[in-house]
Amino acid sequence: MAEQRGTVGGPVLTEWFATKDLHKLDVYESLGGYSALRKVVKEMTAGQVIDEVKASGLRGRGGADFPTATKWSFVPKDHPGPKYIVVNADESEPGSAKDRYLMENSPHMLVEGAAIASFAIGGHAAWVYIRGEYDLPFEMLRDAIAEARAKGYLGDHPFGTDYPLEVRLYRGHGAYICGEETALLESLEGKRAQPRSRPPFPAVKGAWGMPTAVNNVETLSTVPWIMRHGGAEYAKRGTEKSKGTRMVTVSGDVQKPGNYEIEIGVTYRHIIEELAGGPIPGRKIKVFWPGGSSAKVLPASMLDTSTDLDGLKALGTMGGSGGIIVMDDSHCVVKGAARLLRFYAFESCGKCTPCRVGGNWAVRTYDRILAGQGSQLELGILERVSDGLQNGRCLCGLGDAAGWVIESTMRHFRNEYEEHCLHNVCSVEAALVNA
Amino acid sequence: MSVLSEHLIEEIRELPAKYPQPRSAVMPALDLAQEEAGYLTPEAMSEVAAALNLDPGYVEGVATFYTLFHLEPVGKHRFYVCTNLSCTLRGATDIVEHVKSAIGVHEAGELSKDGFFSYEEVECLGACEYAPVMRLDHRYEKDLTANKIDALIAERRSPTKAAVAHAPLPSPLPEGERAKPKPRARKPKSG
Ligand SMILES: Cc1cc2nc3c(=O)[nH]c(=O)nc-3n(C[C@H](O)[C@H](O)[C@H](O)COP(=O)(O)O)c2cc1C
Ligand code: SF4
Ligand code: FES
Repeated sequence: MAEQRGTVGGPVLTEWFATKDLHKLDVYESLGGYSALRKVVKEMTAGQVIDEVKASGLRGRGGADFPTATKWSFVPKDHPGPKYIVVNADESEPGSAKDRYLMENSPHMLVEGAAIASFAIGGHAAWVYIRGEYDLPFEMLRDAIAEARAKGYLGDHPFGTDYPLEVRLYRGHGAYICGEETALLESLEGKRAQPRSRPPFPAVKGAWGMPTAVNNVETLSTVPWIMRHGGAEYAKRGTEKSKGTRMVTVSGDVQKPGNYEIEIGVTYRHIIEELAGGPIPGRKIKVFWPGGSSAKVLPASMLDTSTDLDGLKALGTMGGSGGIIVMDDSHCVVKGAARLLRFYAFESCGKCTPCRVGGNWAVRTYDRILAGQGSQLELGILERVSDGLQNGRCLCGLGDAAGWVIESTMRHFRNEYEEHCLHNVCSVEAALVNA
Repeated sequence: MSVLSEHLIEEIRELPAKYPQPRSAVMPALDLAQEEAGYLTPEAMSEVAAALNLDPGYVEGVATFYTLFHLEPVGKHRFYVCTNLSCTLRGATDIVEHVKSAIGVHEAGELSKDGFFSYEEVECLGACEYAPVMRLDHRYEKDLTANKIDALIAERRSPTKAAVAHAPLPSPLPEGERAKPKPRARKPKSG
């Protein structure tokens, strides 16, 4: 059993997490596990499965919020060759750890969800691309798949039917960009992971040239619950347009970091102050990243923002991967942004110039600023670089994300940037020394 | 003289059949080679390429793209210390300094005197709720403190506790099944 730091016994995803040995097939099954897959392969058509998921309103939890049923329906029904579900288990977005939490605690939930998804698109194999550092989740999935195969729930005749279903594993080897779905497909095909230009979209030409739907771990882990209880039941939770529950990872300057299952629509204040225990005693929250390091930051004055996906979009930020990074008044925003830019520059795959060059420009500029050599010039460079990275100038979202970190931290914490650049002081550190 | 063992080459030759297209075998194959050789030398990569009927330059191109492939010797126990934002907020910078002094090295990648240890700063490990975090011997070590690091090092230095520190390695193969190593053909003893 994996260690747990977060919700157990939540409404949907973590419903059974308090049960010991949930990772074992007999325990998972005793609670109702695999009843959804059984029903799907024995009693339903692919179209009915898609309709049920459509009724749930489920949107992808990998970052882009795309409706899951719609994605599946893009996969051509009449394609003669293989079609694939590819599970994105590459989770490497700074601040996000929820897919690991789900896989470690309930690997069968993902296996079941991936098999249902394969059935829904008329495919027979799901490939799980899992980041190489995730040794424990890999082992748990490997064992779960072996158990399901031995029991006859996967294989040539799942539950005695003639609809073959397989779930296979593929390990990544350390590259954030593999989380981007087309880079992931390149990697799965044994290549350097550089995003593809679209079209063609993966639904038409994906893994090994075949129609493919790429889905996040959490997205697919939600599917068995939806099939057990019905899409309408899931849609009762959440907000008008953002249905259901989701996982968030809270990390950084809080008392109880962890993975929490929330009903979409609760506020960040609720998550950070209630669930995650609020700030470290004596400190004040200054800023938070609402959906992974790639989501534009919000200052603490906006803690009452709802987790509604469209509401976040309207604010120019996003729910993203659900990774909430909290920073308090003892930490410098400029340093935090500099650290993230180093990340984006390092992880750039190098395919397009604005991202490859812009990221490194930003890193060098931050280095100068933090070495006390900043000036008005550096502020101007950061603004230009940030602009150059955004608005479709890059092939994939990594470039935009790097730009958003610069832009949003500068917008809300202009004073910290100016003090660094124009007066060569870190007001945060100065305050700590004087305290 | 080949650098990879005969049975490993055989195992690599059987990999392509496990995938819809043979090229997908390149990463699992490099993984096996790295596990056996410790790191990927040009010779090892050429042998992988030959076994998979690929161009050696292509194989090297893949190996250099991914951070978990090592092209230089690494310590037997490598500390992959996360220094991304959530870990830095909770003291990762001090953790790196402590690791450096505890294993006696000046920079990332450098081997400790006994060749046992090295460290590397890595990006988010996806375990931010346990920050600061590192990966060591295929396991995550969480909520790191200086004392914890000292204990991890001591465990690995002491031969009696060594067993604890060598958790069974997960197989790099897709299904986690390893072909049983075939016994190497021995030269018949003369005389
Ligand atoms: C730079 C970048 C990194 C990404 N990383 C991940 C990731 O680690 N995991 C993930 O599920 N999606 C990630 N995504 C989103 C995927 O491209 C894709 O939208 C997602 O896997 C689709 O699954 P969903 O519809 O279930 O959300 C990333 C996107 C970008 C641009
Ligand atoms: S934006 Fe960056 S990571 Fe994405 S394709 Fe371009 S260079 Fe590669
Ligand atoms: S930032 Fe260190 S594990 Fe995520």
